[in-house]
Formats: sequence, structure tokens, C-alpha cells
Amino acid sequence: MADFAQVLDRLCAASRRRYLDPYAEIIWPDVLEADAWSFTPELISLYGTGVWEEMTDAQRRSLSFFETVNFFSLNIHGEKSLVEGLARRVHQPGAEDITPYLHHFLDEENKHMVYFGGFCRRYAGKVYRDRKVAFPREYAPGEEDFLFFARVLIFEEIVDVYNVRMAKDERLPAVVRRINELHHQEESRHLAFGRLLVKRLFDRYAAVWSPETLAGVRDYLAAYVGATWREYYNPDAYRDAGIFDPLAVQQRALEDQRCRAHRERVTARALKYLREAHVLEAGV
Amino acid sequence: MNTEGSFKKELRDWIVVRNQKIAPEDFDDDTPLIQERIITSLQVLDLVLFLEELTGSAVDVEQLKPGAFRSVNVICASFGPGGQRGG
Repeated sequence: MADFAQVLDRLCAASRRRYLDPYAEIIWPDVLEADAWSFTPELISLYGTGVWEEMTDAQRRSLSFFETVNFFSLNIHGEKSLVEGLARRVHQPGAEDITPYLHHFLDEENKHMVYFGGFCRRYAGKVYRDRKVAFPREYAPGEEDFLFFARVLIFEEIVDVYNVRMAKDERLPAVVRRINELHHQEESRHLAFGRLLVKRLFDRYAAVWSPETLAGVRDYLAAYVGATWREYYNPDAYRDAGIFDPLAVQQRALEDQRCRAHRERVTARALKYLREAHVLEAGV
Repeated sequence: MNTEGSFKKELRDWIVVRNQKIAPEDFDDDTPLIQERIITSLQVLDLVLFLEELTGSAVDVEQLKPGAFRSVNVICASFGPGGQRGG
């Protein structure tokens, strides 16, 4: 595991070298530019659907603002549970080698919530509610740790595709581009760490799991990809943008072929990695 | 809006549509939904949205008690007509 240790050292060094102050890194305008796109239109959840085609340009731009609030909100909720999970694993017996990097991971995730929350509170006056519920259950050896880091990896892989695209989109306000850029810079390290750790945990534990446990892990992760995407189609954002019957609109968008193809494109990198690591079987 | 009977029917219909591997006669109103994997933890997000739509009231998942989604009867008692909103 010399390679793993070397990568951890490099990631820790990079986190120290690029240590950011989230309170100083972002210049917050008093108000966002009226009628500007806040979210890359091609990434908006309803883009290309029948509802989208019927919207005026002003309605689309209004939806783009609430999609930004939703994107930042779902990041906050993901980071809250991530911070909880990381805090439980720092200095965990048997995980001493990853603990130094977990300190950076924790620190950086807390900072992300500062700027995501700063945007939502300043410009929308709220963070969208989280509706995820976790149920306690029994786990096979290593299964809980593996699923925790695999969920984090999938979540961050999807977010990162959006971050990279929006950081460069000059149609968006500077503050939105900057938040996406800062997030991508640190997430690229988290992703490098996650890819190594998920494979290491899978290789260590999958061999001792029963076939039922392994099948359950694979089913769960495939379903987790779908559940993660559903948060991008938030009826609360549609309602705030003045869209009629938001729950039906969500369902139609989830079933829309163009939206499905978009999700497949964005998720392709994460699924390719999980297949190559043998976490998921071919064809998933 | 709903009577208890219509609430349960809408809920049962939703479960059958979401699960796709289960028929209405395969579970009753006391069947443990999560334990029997008729609903997965990952589907609860959609269930909460559905309950909010059905009842017209927001569900605060932070306030949910353990077992709030145990069965159709428990969900109805928690979120249905005259329910306790949170299990």
C-alpha cells in the first residue's frame, strides 16, 4: 500500500498548500444581476422537456435561480451527513493511516457549507429542505464504511461534473462561477482519495462478504445513483419558479428520454470507475 | 380531502407503482414495509414528497420518530386524516 500512503501524503500537502478561507475567497454582491442565468441552462433539470419548451425566457432564468439554490442546498445536506460520517471515522482504530487526510476532508467540507449556505441565505433566504431518511440496520464487516465512502464518491462525482461546467460558464454571475470553481478545486482531491479508498475497502471486504451481502451492496449502490439524481428534480424549486403541479412535472422529467440521457452522460465517469473496480457488475 | 380509506388506497397504489415487483394482494396494512424491503430507505424521499402532496402539509424528517414508515397503518396514523404528523 506504498502507493496509497504516497497519494495520501500528496493530498495532505496539497490541502495545506491550498488552504482557503471561505470568508475571504468570495465577493458577495448585494443582489444578483436581474434576469441573468444563475445555473447553466443546459444543466437545468427540466431542460429540453415539454415544460421547458413552454416556458418563456424570463421563466427559464427564474427557474435557473431556484435550481442554483437547490444545487447548493443538496450539497449542504450531502455535506452535513458527510461531516457526521467523517467525524465518526477520524482516529478510528484501523484507520490511522487515513486520519490525517480525514482532518482536511472534514475541514474542507465544513468550508463548502459556509459558501453554499451563504449563497442560499443571502439571495433566497432559505436552504431547501432535506427529505432523506436513514434507517438503522445491521451491516456485515466493513460494509458500513464501504457504503459510506462509495456513496460520498458517487455524490461528489455527479456534483463535480456540474461544478466544472458552471465554473467556466460566463453566462453565470461571478459569485456562482467562483463557488463552483472553489468547490471543484477541493473536490478533485476528495475524489482522488475516494477512488483509492473505495477500491481498497472493496478489495479488503468483498472477499469475506456472503453472496447475498455482495448482491445487496451492488443493488443498493445502483439504487443510490437513482436516488441521488432525484434530488436534482426538486418540486420545491419548481413551485418557487411558478411551475404548476410540480410533483407531476418532476415525475415527467425523471421519465423524459432527454433527461435520462443527460443523467447517463453525467454519471458515466462514476459508473465506469465502479465497474473497473468490480464494485458494480458490467451492464449496470 | 381524504378519508382514512382513500388515504390508505392512494398509499397502497403508490407502493405498488414504486415497487413494481409486488402486487396489492402481497401485503396488508400491517406488513412491515421497510423490513420486508417493500419500500427501501432510498425511496423514502419520494414517499415523503408523495405524503406532502397527498396531505398538503410539509413533513419535517428531522422530527420523525423511529418506525414512522413501518406499515400502511402506521403511516396512516402518522400522516393520514387526523394523524400525528411524524409517527
